[in-house]
Amino acid sequence: MPDSIPPRSCTSHTMITRTRHFFHYYANPGRFYHISTRIQPYVTYSALFFTFIGLGWGLFFSPPDWQQGDTVRIMYIHVPTAILASAGYAALALCGLSTLVWQHPLANLAAMEIAPVGACATALCLITGSLRGKPMWGTYWVWDARLTSVLILFFLYLGHISLIRAFEDKQRGYQAAAILALAGVIDLPIIKFSVDWWNTLHQPDSITLTRAPTISRSMLWPLILSMLGFSLGFCALVFARLRAAILEVRIRALLFPSHRRSNIV
Amino acid sequence: MTRKTRRLWLVLICIACFGTAIGLILRAFSSDIVFFVTPSQIVASPPPDHRLVKLGGMVVAGSVHYSKHKETPVVTFDVTDGRTAVTVTYQGILPDLFREGQSVIVIGTVTSKHRFTASEVLAKHDETYMPKEVADALRKSGKWDPRFGPPPPDIWHSNQN
Amino acid sequence: MTHPVFIIASYGITFIIVTVLSVEAALRLRRARTQLTVLEKNTSHSSNL
Repeated sequence: MPDSIPPRSCTSHTMITRTRHFFHYYANPGRFYHISTRIQPYVTYSALFFTFIGLGWGLFFSPPDWQQGDTVRIMYIHVPTAILASAGYAALALCGLSTLVWQHPLANLAAMEIAPVGACATALCLITGSLRGKPMWGTYWVWDARLTSVLILFFLYLGHISLIRAFEDKQRGYQAAAILALAGVIDLPIIKFSVDWWNTLHQPDSITLTRAPTISRSMLWPLILSMLGFSLGFCALVFARLRAAILEVRIRALLFPSHRRSNIV
Repeated sequence: MTRKTRRLWLVLICIACFGTAIGLILRAFSSDIVFFVTPSQIVASPPPDHRLVKLGGMVVAGSVHYSKHKETPVVTFDVTDGRTAVTVTYQGILPDLFREGQSVIVIGTVTSKHRFTASEVLAKHDETYMPKEVADALRKSGKWDPRFGPPPPDIWHSNQN
Repeated sequence: MTHPVFIIASYGITFIIVTVLSVEAALRLRRARTQLTVLEKNTSHSSNL
């Protein structure tokens, strides 16, 4: 902002500057490496703790459902992976925005490392959903709006994974993948609202922000614990991969000091 | 406006345009994205013969009849959307969730105005999850009978456990 | 109405995928760390990481 134009509101201006400083401060790869190394054990062990409690409770102690019987226990994996599939893609899109607008080196690396983990979550969501569909609905797969839009999300992940690695010049790969990630964001609201906008074989969501959950509490608690465990596990995996990626950049810089910077970072 | 702010706005405008385009496409093809049609839609405008349609609705209580045709079980039942009912004939094994009051989707052809021959039956389950004992207790107390459709939404306020 | 095969298959495949991802991340991190230690010992200028 040029000096001649005074900021409209002094407080909002300083707030923006402070937020910007905050992001610049923590988005530095070296600093991120140190912080994530320090918090990694806490994230990893709490992820293991909550996942074991949640899945153990869901598998052995929660009651069978009145219509689905014991097959309802697949839900304790299906729902957390479904949420992570969408949340992971949202994170990928934020990285893409950061790559295109602010050209943050950490955002580039994060996009590269989040996508494979998110793709695995989406694959798990599709596989467990299909394994639940066969005994419940009577079919492994139908082309309804919910199932198809999640399959599209999986292909978006695969496209991102290959596009970001497809270029000799790494920066061009990051930018192309960022554009794909941002364009694919349209799929997220489609997934979320597909069961409300169109009639589908998949049932509407049981947990929403607007009304009381239509799950009995004896099933809701193990579900919440496994959602927490899986989310922490997702973070732990991304942290570990991102730390390895930061070290690998450093290794490339030491091994090939004469290379252009865009081929290293 | 700095270069970064300009880039941010450009990216956001691009996403908004792309989103609008996709939204309009989905709106235009909305009738093709629906997975099934209802009995009243089929009765109002019957699809051409031999065309495979997916019919969705609730199995009417007391309408399920089992018989046998050369070793294969044959079942007939009525599917309703609350306004009209269509009688469905199906040969084969039904999914576990099939029962009176359950939402089902049958895939097959329309044979006459209110008759349908299904080649496949899919059971839909709703978004309510509760232990069997709770469902039984609700039925005994007369608050909800699963043979007449999904549980009413207000039972979740009175019967949380 | 129990389908143990489908439940076991779901939990099994989840366990396999999560284990593969975790082991891969741990090995990659360890390899990068050892390689960097060797390289930094050999190069004269210290790293500012």
